[in-house]
Amino acid sequence: MTFTPGSFARAGLIAFVATVVQLSGFGAMRLFGSSPDIIPLAVAGVAIYAGSVSGAAMGFGTGLLLDLAVGSTMGVSSLVLTAVGYGAGRYREVRDPAHGLMSIPVGAVATFGWVTAFAAVSFMLEVGPSVSPLVFRDMLLTTLIGAALAMPVFALCRRVLRSSLVVDPYERRRRRSSPREAGPLGLRGMEV
Amino acid sequence: MPTDKQIRRRRAALATFIAASVVMLTAYFGESSEGVFHTLQRGAQEAFAPIETGAGRALKPARDLVGWIGDTVEAKGENEDLRAELKDLRERLGRSETAIRDAEQLRDIVNLRQAEGFPQGTRSVAARVIARSPTVWYSTIKIDKGAGDGLREDQPVIAEGGLAGKLTRVTGGTSEVTLITDASSAVSAQIMPAGANGIVKPEVGRPSDLLLDFVQRGRRVTEGTTVVTSGFRSGRVESLFPRGIPIGRVSRVDLDEVELYQRVHIKPFADLRSIDFVAVLTSRGQAPATETSQAPDSAGAGLP
Repeated sequence: MTFTPGSFARAGLIAFVATVVQLSGFGAMRLFGSSPDIIPLAVAGVAIYAGSVSGAAMGFGTGLLLDLAVGSTMGVSSLVLTAVGYGAGRYREVRDPAHGLMSIPVGAVATFGWVTAFAAVSFMLEVGPSVSPLVFRDMLLTTLIGAALAMPVFALCRRVLRSSLVVDPYERRRRRSSPREAGPLGLRGMEV
Repeated sequence: MPTDKQIRRRRAALATFIAASVVMLTAYFGESSEGVFHTLQRGAQEAFAPIETGAGRALKPARDLVGWIGDTVEAKGENEDLRAELKDLRERLGRSETAIRDAEQLRDIVNLRQAEGFPQGTRSVAARVIARSPTVWYSTIKIDKGAGDGLREDQPVIAEGGLAGKLTRVTGGTSEVTLITDASSAVSAQIMPAGANGIVKPEVGRPSDLLLDFVQRGRRVTEGTTVVTSGFRSGRVESLFPRGIPIGRVSRVDLDEVELYQRVHIKPFADLRSIDFVAVLTSRGQAPATETSQAPDSAGAGLP
């Protein structure tokens, strides 16, 4: 991603909207006994298109916004989301995924990493030893719902960031698979 | 391929963000509630409040929709669980009610045997009813005890409330009981305490109504009095039923001008259409009354 005021504003807009929608909308929804969480999806969505540094910055900023808005321990969400954003960005840089369904596993892993790491940090910092096993069920459900929501969230992130992206994996894929032309006899598969 | 500079920059950015998070975390824990971060947080929450309120209102339809979907899915699952639980509870209820009914019948049989007036010293074998005759002409039941349990033909059978019938066929493990409502049945009986004797016969098709026949017109019979087996003995002839087993209660008396005898209607104590347990009296015991038992007032000899 090119670092311009516009690109920062776009990433900030994504972080802000994701936080507000999460707190006012998705946080209050109960689906199969759990709530959807689009925060890690937004961070991973930006990171997968913009790279690891942008992903880490997006994670830090979104975490800071979340901690400020929720009133939880400052730094916890930033720390975890920085790792999530950086990890997703590095995955894109190393593997260069271009598959159309790439967002689903990335979203699932990002959500799982977020809920697991957040639970671990919270457990280490504040919570006593009495933790219900139901928390694991909740983490699993949140991950599954995250995987289901990954495609639309990633698509929205891409749409917002598109003008600032240096490389768009989807554009590259589209160029790579251009339509085959007919051969000299006018039949497909008879190209010379 | 990323250059060393890019790699260093990337690592530095990551380290910076992590360090900033850890510093924030440490400072947040270290400071008081009036510290910088706490104050910042309060300010941010105040700033966020109207945005969150507006967003909350705007997103309410979507929230309600998802909530409705979630509630519907959960309700379906809950419905299935409740149906399974209902089925289980119904089965348990059925078993419990059956057990209660069985226990009540067995208790009533025991109480009947211990009641005042019942022939003392009798021995009995409890049995479960395993089959019933489907017609009104042949009122018989089959029980799950037979010769192997000490049962013999013509032994009297009692049920909850009173006399039920007698054994008419005995095999190794089962027996057939001919009920007192069977067309072929006849039992010598006595109205207590008046002492009028007669023969109890069924009215086919009306198992809840027996007839006490051959009661002389001169004997005063009142409704509501109890009818028991008379257990008559006349010479070498002896009733199959020991004296004192309750049969029923007088429900009506027909006084026909031209008849020589009264016809007394009896409502049997035992509900013979729905008995599940019976007791077969394997020994007669002793009659409770001290007065000499007599044959029915007329034509009773040879009858059970």
